[in-house]
Amino acid sequence: MDNAAKIFPASLDSLEPIRDYVSKRCEVLGFNKKKTYGLCLAIDEIATNIINYGYPKAGIGLGIIEVHMADDARQLTVTLIDTAVAFDPLAHLVPNQDDMNKPLEDRPIGGLGILLARQNVDEFRYERRGDQNCNVFVVNVSS
Amino acid sequence: MGFNITSEITEGVAKLTLAGSLDSSSASMMQAEIQKVAAQSPTALVLYVSQLEFMSSAGLRMLIFAKQKLGTTVQIYIVQPQGQIVDTLQMTGIIHSVHIVDNYPA
Repeated sequence: MDNAAKIFPASLDSLEPIRDYVSKRCEVLGFNKKKTYGLCLAIDEIATNIINYGYPKAGIGLGIIEVHMADDARQLTVTLIDTAVAFDPLAHLVPNQDDMNKPLEDRPIGGLGILLARQNVDEFRYERRGDQNCNVFVVNVSS
Repeated sequence: MGFNITSEITEGVAKLTLAGSLDSSSASMMQAEIQKVAAQSPTALVLYVSQLEFMSSAGLRMLIFAKQKLGTTVQIYIVQPQGQIVDTLQMTGIIHSVHIVDNYPA
Protein backbone atom coordinates (compact mmCIF):
# COMPACT_ATOMS: atom_id res chain seq x y z
CA MET A 1 0.00 0.00 0.00
CA ASP A 2 1.32 3.38 -1.02
CA ASN A 3 -0.28 6.57 0.32
CA ALA A 4 0.03 10.20 -0.63
CA ALA A 5 -1.96 13.37 -0.04
CA LYS A 6 -1.85 16.99 -1.06
CA ILE A 7 -3.95 20.05 -0.28
CA PHE A 8 -5.11 22.42 -3.04
CA PRO A 9 -6.94 25.75 -2.79
CA ALA A 10 -10.54 25.30 -3.95
CA SER A 11 -10.16 27.54 -6.99
CA LEU A 12 -10.52 26.81 -10.70
CA ASP A 13 -6.78 27.45 -11.07
CA SER A 14 -6.26 24.24 -9.08
CA LEU A 15 -8.00 21.99 -11.61
CA GLU A 16 -4.98 21.44 -13.79
CA PRO A 17 -2.55 20.95 -10.87
CA ILE A 18 -4.97 18.39 -9.35
CA ARG A 19 -5.13 16.50 -12.66
CA ASP A 20 -1.33 16.63 -12.93
CA TYR A 21 -0.93 15.32 -9.39
CA VAL A 22 -3.20 12.34 -10.07
CA SER A 23 -1.88 11.59 -13.54
CA LYS A 24 1.70 11.39 -12.24
CA ARG A 25 0.59 8.61 -9.89
CA CYS A 26 -1.17 6.86 -12.77
CA GLU A 27 2.04 7.05 -14.76
CA VAL A 28 4.00 5.40 -11.95
CA LEU A 29 1.39 2.65 -11.84
CA GLY A 30 1.69 2.11 -15.59
CA PHE A 31 -1.92 3.07 -16.42
CA ASN A 32 -2.65 3.59 -20.10
CA LYS A 33 -3.74 6.97 -21.45
CA LYS A 34 -7.45 6.09 -21.54
CA LYS A 35 -7.57 5.00 -17.91
CA THR A 36 -5.54 7.97 -16.72
CA TYR A 37 -7.68 10.40 -18.71
CA GLY A 38 -10.92 8.90 -17.41
CA LEU A 39 -9.82 9.20 -13.78
CA CYS A 40 -8.59 12.77 -14.27
CA LEU A 41 -11.85 13.71 -15.99
CA ALA A 42 -13.95 12.20 -13.19
CA ILE A 43 -11.94 14.04 -10.54
CA ASP A 44 -12.02 17.30 -12.50
CA GLU A 45 -15.81 17.18 -12.72
CA ILE A 46 -16.34 16.67 -8.99
CA ALA A 47 -13.65 19.21 -8.04
CA THR A 48 -15.34 21.75 -10.31
CA ASN A 49 -18.66 21.20 -8.51
CA ILE A 50 -16.98 21.68 -5.14
CA ILE A 51 -15.32 24.91 -6.30
CA ASN A 52 -18.24 26.41 -8.24
CA TYR A 53 -21.14 25.37 -6.01
CA GLY A 54 -20.06 23.65 -2.80
CA TYR A 55 -17.95 26.32 -1.17
CA PRO A 56 -19.92 29.34 -2.49
CA LYS A 57 -23.14 27.79 -1.07
CA ALA A 58 -21.37 27.28 2.24
CA GLY A 59 -20.40 30.96 2.22
CA ILE A 60 -16.75 30.01 2.41
CA GLY A 61 -14.58 32.32 0.33
CA LEU A 62 -11.69 30.06 -0.39
CA GLY A 63 -11.88 26.52 0.87
CA ILE A 64 -9.52 23.66 0.28
CA ILE A 65 -9.67 20.33 -1.45
CA GLU A 66 -7.60 17.49 -0.05
CA VAL A 67 -6.56 14.89 -2.59
CA HIS A 68 -5.67 11.53 -1.04
CA MET A 69 -4.30 8.65 -3.04
CA ALA A 70 -3.80 5.06 -1.97
CA ASP A 71 -2.83 2.17 -4.16
CA ASP A 72 -2.08 -1.49 -3.86
CA ALA A 73 -1.58 -4.26 -6.39
CA ARG A 74 -5.28 -4.26 -7.29
CA GLN A 75 -6.47 -0.67 -7.40
CA LEU A 76 -5.82 3.03 -7.08
CA THR A 77 -8.21 4.90 -4.82
CA VAL A 78 -8.38 8.69 -4.98
CA THR A 79 -10.43 10.57 -2.39
CA LEU A 80 -11.36 14.24 -2.64
CA ILE A 81 -12.21 15.75 0.74
CA ASP A 82 -13.85 19.15 1.20
CA THR A 83 -15.79 20.95 3.91
CA ALA A 84 -18.32 22.64 1.63
CA VAL A 85 -22.08 22.06 1.89
CA ALA A 86 -23.11 18.41 1.88
CA PHE A 87 -23.44 17.24 -1.70
CA ASP A 88 -23.94 13.66 -2.78
CA PRO A 89 -23.36 13.44 -6.54
CA LEU A 90 -25.02 10.02 -6.58
CA ALA A 91 -28.28 11.54 -5.33
CA HIS A 92 -28.53 13.81 -8.35
CA LEU A 93 -30.19 13.00 -11.60
CA VAL A 94 -27.98 12.59 -14.60
CA PRO A 95 -29.18 12.95 -18.19
CA ASN A 96 -31.24 9.94 -19.28
CA GLN A 97 -31.47 8.33 -22.70
CA ASP A 98 -34.22 10.74 -23.78
CA ASP A 99 -31.98 13.68 -22.91
CA MET A 100 -29.10 12.06 -24.78
CA ASN A 101 -31.18 11.91 -27.95
CA LYS A 102 -32.27 15.53 -27.81
CA PRO A 103 -30.82 18.05 -30.24
CA LEU A 104 -27.90 19.95 -28.74
CA GLU A 105 -29.84 23.18 -28.32
CA ASP A 106 -32.49 21.40 -26.24
CA ARG A 107 -30.10 19.47 -24.01
CA PRO A 108 -30.25 20.16 -20.29
CA ILE A 109 -26.92 21.63 -19.26
CA GLY A 110 -26.90 20.18 -15.74
CA GLY A 111 -25.74 16.72 -14.82
CA LEU A 112 -23.22 16.15 -17.58
CA GLY A 113 -20.26 16.46 -15.22
CA ILE A 114 -21.70 14.00 -12.71
CA LEU A 115 -22.48 11.58 -15.53
CA LEU A 116 -18.85 11.74 -16.68
CA ALA A 117 -17.55 11.34 -13.13
CA ARG A 118 -19.60 8.19 -12.62
CA GLN A 119 -18.85 6.62 -15.98
CA ASN A 120 -15.10 7.14 -16.14
CA VAL A 121 -13.98 5.13 -13.11
CA ASP A 122 -14.56 1.55 -12.03
CA GLU A 123 -16.23 2.65 -8.81
CA PHE A 124 -17.46 5.98 -7.49
CA ARG A 125 -18.62 6.44 -3.90
CA TYR A 126 -19.73 9.36 -1.77
CA GLU A 127 -19.53 9.51 2.01
CA ARG A 128 -20.36 12.30 4.44
CA ARG A 129 -17.98 12.17 7.42
CA GLY A 130 -18.82 14.83 9.99
CA ASP A 131 -18.55 18.14 8.14
CA GLN A 132 -16.64 16.59 5.26
CA ASN A 133 -17.68 15.45 1.81
CA CYS A 134 -15.61 12.48 0.68
CA ASN A 135 -15.79 11.64 -3.00
CA VAL A 136 -14.04 8.33 -3.63
CA PHE A 137 -12.83 7.22 -7.07
CA VAL A 138 -11.54 3.70 -7.57
CA VAL A 139 -9.71 2.44 -10.64
CA ASN A 140 -8.71 -1.19 -11.01
CA VAL A 141 -5.10 -1.67 -11.94
CA SER A 142 -5.80 -4.55 -14.29
CA SER A 143 -9.05 -3.43 -15.96
CA MET B 1 -0.53 22.89 -20.35
CA GLY B 2 -3.01 25.78 -20.20
CA PHE B 3 -5.44 26.58 -22.97
CA ASN B 4 -5.17 28.50 -26.22
CA ILE B 5 -7.87 29.47 -28.64
CA THR B 6 -7.84 31.50 -31.84
CA SER B 7 -10.71 32.32 -34.16
CA GLU B 8 -11.27 33.54 -37.69
CA ILE B 9 -14.14 33.77 -40.11
CA THR B 10 -13.51 32.72 -43.69
CA GLU B 11 -16.26 33.00 -46.27
CA GLY B 12 -18.91 32.94 -43.59
CA VAL B 13 -17.48 29.92 -41.75
CA ALA B 14 -16.31 30.43 -38.17
CA LYS B 15 -13.10 28.54 -37.44
CA LEU B 16 -11.84 28.08 -33.90
CA THR B 17 -8.53 26.39 -33.16
CA LEU B 18 -8.25 24.95 -29.65
CA ALA B 19 -5.17 23.60 -27.88
CA GLY B 20 -4.35 22.40 -24.36
CA SER B 21 -6.94 21.84 -21.64
CA LEU B 22 -10.53 23.01 -21.90
CA ASP B 23 -11.93 22.89 -18.37
CA SER B 24 -14.01 25.18 -16.15
CA SER B 25 -11.09 27.56 -15.71
CA SER B 26 -10.64 28.07 -19.46
CA ALA B 27 -14.20 27.68 -20.83
CA SER B 28 -14.84 31.42 -20.52
CA MET B 29 -12.13 32.00 -23.16
CA MET B 30 -14.04 29.78 -25.56
CA GLN B 31 -17.32 31.46 -24.68
CA ALA B 32 -15.80 34.84 -25.56
CA GLU B 33 -14.62 33.55 -28.95
CA ILE B 34 -18.04 32.07 -29.71
CA GLN B 35 -19.67 35.38 -28.87
CA LYS B 36 -17.15 37.17 -31.09
CA VAL B 37 -17.82 35.00 -34.15
CA ALA B 38 -21.58 34.89 -33.49
CA ALA B 39 -21.72 38.63 -34.12
CA GLN B 40 -20.92 37.87 -37.78
CA SER B 41 -23.68 35.24 -38.13
CA PRO B 42 -21.53 32.41 -39.54
CA THR B 43 -23.11 29.59 -41.54
CA ALA B 44 -21.02 26.87 -39.87
CA LEU B 45 -18.72 26.46 -36.87
CA VAL B 46 -15.54 24.46 -37.30
CA LEU B 47 -13.45 23.46 -34.28
CA TYR B 48 -9.88 22.38 -34.99
CA VAL B 49 -9.01 20.33 -31.93
CA SER B 50 -6.14 18.01 -32.82
CA GLN B 51 -4.02 19.75 -30.17
CA LEU B 52 -6.79 19.72 -27.54
CA GLU B 53 -5.53 17.32 -24.85
CA PHE B 54 -8.36 17.52 -22.33
CA MET B 55 -12.02 18.54 -22.35
CA SER B 56 -14.37 18.38 -19.39
CA SER B 57 -18.13 18.95 -19.35
CA ALA B 58 -17.31 22.67 -19.39
CA GLY B 59 -16.33 22.12 -23.03
CA LEU B 60 -19.57 20.25 -23.71
CA ARG B 61 -21.49 23.18 -22.28
CA MET B 62 -19.65 25.43 -24.74
CA LEU B 63 -20.90 23.27 -27.62
CA ILE B 64 -24.45 23.63 -26.32
CA PHE B 65 -23.89 27.36 -25.86
CA ALA B 66 -22.57 27.65 -29.44
CA LYS B 67 -25.62 25.91 -30.85
CA GLN B 68 -27.96 28.12 -28.86
CA LYS B 69 -26.04 31.28 -29.77
CA LEU B 70 -25.48 30.59 -33.47
CA GLY B 71 -28.85 29.01 -34.21
CA THR B 72 -30.01 25.48 -34.77
CA THR B 73 -29.30 25.50 -38.51
CA VAL B 74 -25.60 26.17 -38.00
CA GLN B 75 -23.72 22.86 -38.16
CA ILE B 76 -20.78 22.19 -35.85
CA TYR B 77 -17.75 20.34 -37.24
CA ILE B 78 -15.07 18.93 -34.93
CA VAL B 79 -11.85 18.27 -36.78
CA GLN B 80 -9.46 15.51 -35.63
CA PRO B 81 -10.46 15.13 -31.97
CA GLN B 82 -8.30 12.86 -29.82
CA GLY B 83 -9.79 9.50 -28.82
CA GLN B 84 -10.65 10.41 -25.24
CA ILE B 85 -12.55 13.49 -26.38
CA VAL B 86 -14.54 11.37 -28.82
CA ASP B 87 -15.31 9.03 -25.89
CA THR B 88 -16.67 11.97 -23.89
CA LEU B 89 -18.86 13.11 -26.80
CA GLN B 90 -20.08 9.53 -27.17
CA MET B 91 -20.83 8.98 -23.49
CA THR B 92 -22.97 12.09 -23.29
CA GLY B 93 -24.74 11.56 -26.63
CA ILE B 94 -23.49 14.90 -27.90
CA ILE B 95 -21.69 13.11 -30.71
CA HIS B 96 -25.06 12.83 -32.49
CA SER B 97 -25.38 16.61 -32.71
CA VAL B 98 -21.96 17.38 -34.19
CA HIS B 99 -19.93 16.20 -37.17
CA ILE B 100 -16.60 14.53 -36.40
CA VAL B 101 -14.37 14.93 -39.46
CA ASP B 102 -10.74 14.43 -40.47
CA ASN B 103 -10.61 17.63 -42.48
CA TYR B 104 -12.66 20.73 -43.11
CA PRO B 105 -13.46 21.37 -45.84
CA ALA B 106 -13.51 17.64 -46.55
